[in-house]
Amino acid sequence: MNRSATKSKGFHHFLYWGLPILAIALIIIGWITFSGKHPELMPEPQSVWDRFLLTFTKPIAKTTLLGHAWASLRRVLLALLIAWGFGICFGILIGWSKTAKAFFGSIFEIIRPIPPIAWIPIIIMWFGIGEFPKILLVFIGTFVPLVINTSVGIEMVDKINLQVGRIFGGNDRQILKEIVIPTALPSIFAGVRTSVSSGWTTVLAAEMLGAKQGLGSLVTRGWQGSDLALVLVSVITIAIIGALLSVILEKLEKVVCPWNN
Amino acid sequence: MDKQNLEVKMQSWQRNQKKENIKYILLSIAGILSFLIIWQLAVMLGFIDEKMLPAPTKILETLIYKINNKPPDGNVLGVNILASLQVALSGFLTAIIIGVPLGLCMGWWIYADRFIRPIFELIRPIPPIAWIPLVVVWMGVGLQAKALIIFFTAFVPCVINSYTGIKLTNQTLIDVSKTFGAPNREIFFKVGVPSSLPMVFAGIRVALGNSWSTLVAAEMLAASAGLGYMIQIGRTVARPDIVIVGMVVIGAVGAILSMVLTRAEKYFLRWKINR
Repeated sequence: MNRSATKSKGFHHFLYWGLPILAIALIIIGWITFSGKHPELMPEPQSVWDRFLLTFTKPIAKTTLLGHAWASLRRVLLALLIAWGFGICFGILIGWSKTAKAFFGSIFEIIRPIPPIAWIPIIIMWFGIGEFPKILLVFIGTFVPLVINTSVGIEMVDKINLQVGRIFGGNDRQILKEIVIPTALPSIFAGVRTSVSSGWTTVLAAEMLGAKQGLGSLVTRGWQGSDLALVLVSVITIAIIGALLSVILEKLEKVVCPWNN
Repeated sequence: MDKQNLEVKMQSWQRNQKKENIKYILLSIAGILSFLIIWQLAVMLGFIDEKMLPAPTKILETLIYKINNKPPDGNVLGVNILASLQVALSGFLTAIIIGVPLGLCMGWWIYADRFIRPIFELIRPIPPIAWIPLVVVWMGVGLQAKALIIFFTAFVPCVINSYTGIKLTNQTLIDVSKTFGAPNREIFFKVGVPSSLPMVFAGIRVALGNSWSTLVAAEMLAASAGLGYMIQIGRTVARPDIVIVGMVVIGAVGAILSMVLTRAEKYFLRWKINR
C-alpha cells in the first residue's frame, strides 16, 4: 500500500509539472509547424526575433521599440494622474453627499455607458490626432471605473462606524479622513487597478487610429505594410507591459492596504 | 395610547422618507436638465461651434430622422442596432459557452488547470484591440472575424470568474457530499457549479460590458452596417450629430443589455438565500 501511494504520488508529480510543459511545447510546436506551412498568415518565431532585434538597429519613426513603449506609457501615466485626482475626488463627493449624488450622479450615469472607444471618432473630429486628444481619451476610459469604485466604497461604510465617530465628537472632515476613506481604500484601489488596465487598452486604440509614436501605431504600421512580424513584436511587447503593470499594482495593493486579504 | 403615538411617529417618518425621495428624484432631473440647458445655450449663444457639437435639440432631431431614413450611412437605425447586436452577442455567447465550463473545470480539476493555464496566461494580457490585425489576416473582415475579436474580450473575465467562483466553494459542503458517498463528478455538478454561479454571473456581466465596448473597434475594420460603422461614416462626412446619435444609442443599448442581464441573474439565482 505504501508503495502504491508513492507511485501515485510520483505520477501526480509527473502530471503536475509535465502538463504545463506539454502545453507550452504544444504552443511552440504548433506555431513552428503552422508558420512553416503558411508564413503569410503567421511569421516564424525566428523571424519575429529578428524583427525584434531590428527595431533597435533600424529605428521606426525615429525611435526604437523602447521609445515607442515609453511614448505609450507616458500618455497613460499622464492621463492616469489626472484621472486619479479628479476621479477619486468626484467619487468621494457623490459617495458622501446624497444631494451631490442626485445632481451630478445623474449626469454621470448618462455619460457612463458610452464606451471609451466610442469617443474616439468625435474626439478626433474635435481635437485632431495630436497628444491632447489621446490623453483625453485615456482620461475618459480611466475616469469611469475610478468614480464607480470610489463612490461604492464610500457608500458601503458601516453606519455604526460613522455614529461612533459622531459620538466621539468628530466633525465631518475628521470622519471623512479618519473613518470613511480608510474603509473605502480597498475599493478605491480596485478602481485604480481597473483604471490602469482600461487605460492601457484605450491608449492602444487611440494610437492605432493615428499616431506617429507609440506601440499602437507600430501595430497599424506593421499591419498596413504587411509586416506581420512587426505586428507580433508590438503585440508581445504590449502584453508584457500590460502584465508587468498588473503585477506592480498587485504588489502595491499589499503595501497600500495591507489589511485587505 | 402609546401604540397610537408610535403609529403617528411611524407615519410622519414615512412621510419624511417619501419627501426625501422626491427631493432626490427632482434633483436628478434638475441635474440632467441643467446639463442639457447649458449645452443648448452654449451652442445657441455661439460659445461652441455648431459644426463641432450640435445642440441637444438637433441631436434629438437627427435621432428621430434616423429611425426612418437611411442617409448618410445607408441603413435605418434599427438595422444598425441589429447588426451590432449580432456581432456583439455572437462573440459574447461563444465566450460564455467556451469560457465558463473551461474556468469551472480549471477550478475543480488540478490537471486541467495545469494544462490550460499556460495557454490562458498567454492570451490574457493581450488587449483585444491588439488582436485586430492578426484576426484580419487570418479570417478577413466578416462576421466571424469581428465576433472573434469580441470573443477575446469576453472570454477572459468568464474564465477568471468561473475559476475563482468554484475555488470558493465551501469545503464543508464538499466534505458532506463525500461523506454521503457522492462521486467527484456529481459533487462538481451538484455542489461546485451552483455555488460558483454568483461569481460566474459577475464575470458574465464584465464580459457583456467588454463585448459591447469593443464593438466600435471591431466595426471600424470593415462593415456595411452597425452602430460603430454609422459613427465612422458620420465622422468621414463631418456630421457630428450622427456621431453623437451613434454614441448615445450605443450607451442606451448597453444599459438595456445590462438591465436584461440583471433580470436573468435574479431569475437564475432565485434559490439563493439573500442575507
